[in-house]
Amino acid sequence: MKKKAYLGIDIGSISTKGVIINDRNDFLAECYLWTEGNPTKATKEVLHSLQEQFDGQEYEIVSSGTTGSARKLVGSMIGAQVVKNEITAHAVGTTTLHPEVRTILEIGGQDSKIICVENGVAVDYAMNTLCAAGTGAFLSSQAHRLGVEVEEFGEIALKAEKAAPIAARCTVFAESDLVHKLQVGCPKEEIIAGLCKAVAGNYLNNVAKGKKIVPPVVFQGGVSKNAGVVKMFEEELGMPVMVDEKGHLMGAFGIAVLAKESQDEREFSFDVADMEFKTREVTCGKCANHCEIICVYREGKLIDSWGNRCDNGAIRNQ
Amino acid sequence: MEIRIDDKKKIAFPRFNHYGYPIRYIVEQGLEAQFIQLPPATKETTDLGSRYSPDYACAPFKHTLGSLIEAVEAGADILVETGGLCRLDYYGELQKEIIRELGYKCEFINLAEYMGGKKKEWLKLAKHVNPKLNPAKLATGVYEGVRMAEYIDEIEALYFKNAGFEAEKGSYKKVYRQFLLKMQIAENKNEIKDAYQTAKQEMNELKQIIPENPVRIGVVGEYFTVMDEHSNQFLQEKLVDLGASVYRFMNVTNCHFRAKETALRPKIREYVQYNMGPTTTWTVNSALDYAKRGFDGIIHVKSFGCTPEMDAIPVLQNISKDYHIPVLYLSYDMQDSDTGLDTRLEAFYDMLERKKKVIR
Repeated sequence: MKKKAYLGIDIGSISTKGVIINDRNDFLAECYLWTEGNPTKATKEVLHSLQEQFDGQEYEIVSSGTTGSARKLVGSMIGAQVVKNEITAHAVGTTTLHPEVRTILEIGGQDSKIICVENGVAVDYAMNTLCAAGTGAFLSSQAHRLGVEVEEFGEIALKAEKAAPIAARCTVFAESDLVHKLQVGCPKEEIIAGLCKAVAGNYLNNVAKGKKIVPPVVFQGGVSKNAGVVKMFEEELGMPVMVDEKGHLMGAFGIAVLAKESQDEREFSFDVADMEFKTREVTCGKCANHCEIICVYREGKLIDSWGNRCDNGAIRNQ
Repeated sequence: MEIRIDDKKKIAFPRFNHYGYPIRYIVEQGLEAQFIQLPPATKETTDLGSRYSPDYACAPFKHTLGSLIEAVEAGADILVETGGLCRLDYYGELQKEIIRELGYKCEFINLAEYMGGKKKEWLKLAKHVNPKLNPAKLATGVYEGVRMAEYIDEIEALYFKNAGFEAEKGSYKKVYRQFLLKMQIAENKNEIKDAYQTAKQEMNELKQIIPENPVRIGVVGEYFTVMDEHSNQFLQEKLVDLGASVYRFMNVTNCHFRAKETALRPKIREYVQYNMGPTTTWTVNSALDYAKRGFDGIIHVKSFGCTPEMDAIPVLQNISKDYHIPVLYLSYDMQDSDTGLDTRLEAFYDMLERKKKVIR
């Protein structure tokens, strides 16, 4: 008999991540690529890449899960057993790999969150509310302005002797501060170090406000790959900040663990990666609320729909 | 042309959760005027409200303005807006101006002008609305209308407390909706009481399956947004769908008829020494109460930019630290997408449930 394996896919605003694990939580296959605004296409590419790394002779996938902002769409696409939010997935993933962790900091492309952990389980969390200040999107737009690749940010920041003070609270203020610093002739690396400091400061003042940060601390999300921000966090917090080399896959890993825990087993086939999926938005006309109902079609056949606020708008499978 | 001086005046209030029903009762049975019962709010209501509101006014202003405009369109002669203890006191005046500038020719009664005034003034106002007013009937109508509000609050609390555990999906909702329908058309006190008793009995007889780790969540926050379902995007309904038992102390009964601010404040004196604003005492008191009773989590609801509730947040953070209870802070403006809210609520519920599994 083949050994059991579990698939997890995390479809974020910027990147799509996929992993396959076995029942001892070892990584059997992993993939990370850009979503590029097309979650269906990105998922198919992830599945193709996973299929190549995956040993279909020894293992078979018995359960799958999706998370991230396109979890619902991709969930009905691949017929996932578990469709869960990214906060739960990250908490589960990190506490499985690092049971001793007490605080998880996470900064992604458009959101940032903090998760407090006790005895290996999340006990409190907070997420940024209305604006994307101090997230990956802010850093990459500023990198563009400075003519530097965002991937090089960390290295450059570490070279700076000191960080230029940049207002952290609001992206618009930060930007005008930055322009001012450039015009008075501040060296570029000091400005980049200042930006990294601003991201860390903004995070601690907004998202983490009122939360107690206890070591060991793990830092995740795309921004955790930026060594400059990691250094600033360590300085501000006065404690070591751990960055896992698999930190960017933690959501996908967590949802795979949840799929394993669900014990809901069903055959999974990589064939979905070659099927055609279409989504259509329908405006419901049954009342003045005009709900937008999203219908998902597989090979021209309706498989799922959501978005209606009341039963009047429910679309029934014929 | 026929002149009908006998015609009853048509009165409209802004929508406010289910409290339109008791208000209708008071208007029709007490004042003997006609009440404009608006259908449930839709996206169009909020669009109307935001279009004609100053951008920085809080969400309740926009919701109520949208309701009032829809009410005039539906043929109201008199619009009524209430006063309050925060910026709300000024809102009636502003909405009156906005509606006049839009060219609507209806009367606008701003209750803020009468608040704290003498009874004589109120009676004069009632007589103005209905010159043939019977004061004795008005008193009975008000009394019975208040009872109706109390019954609605009680049944609503029962519904949100238990519906998450129902054995048959939708069974609680059915009873609850039947009850609300009866409140919408009740014409005397017996009808109100019968409907209340039936609903309560039927709800108590419904079967429940209590899960291994039941999650209890207390909802606290700003007066209008926390009570009005449309404003908080059916927050409590969503929590019930996730399977939680949901409590909310803040309702009209507890806020106006039972708990007085001065009576509540001594209970929270460890955290608050003076009155911090319109409903902040209620918010802090119920949050502290939930924490002491061992609830799993608290959700704090406010409209974006609500200063009194913003002041309550540091106090809630202290309670959260002292009693080890997580608090989720939600701030509402006029967004129409539910996705962000759904993600946060699901994560909050999952966290509380998993925590219970591991720790207890």
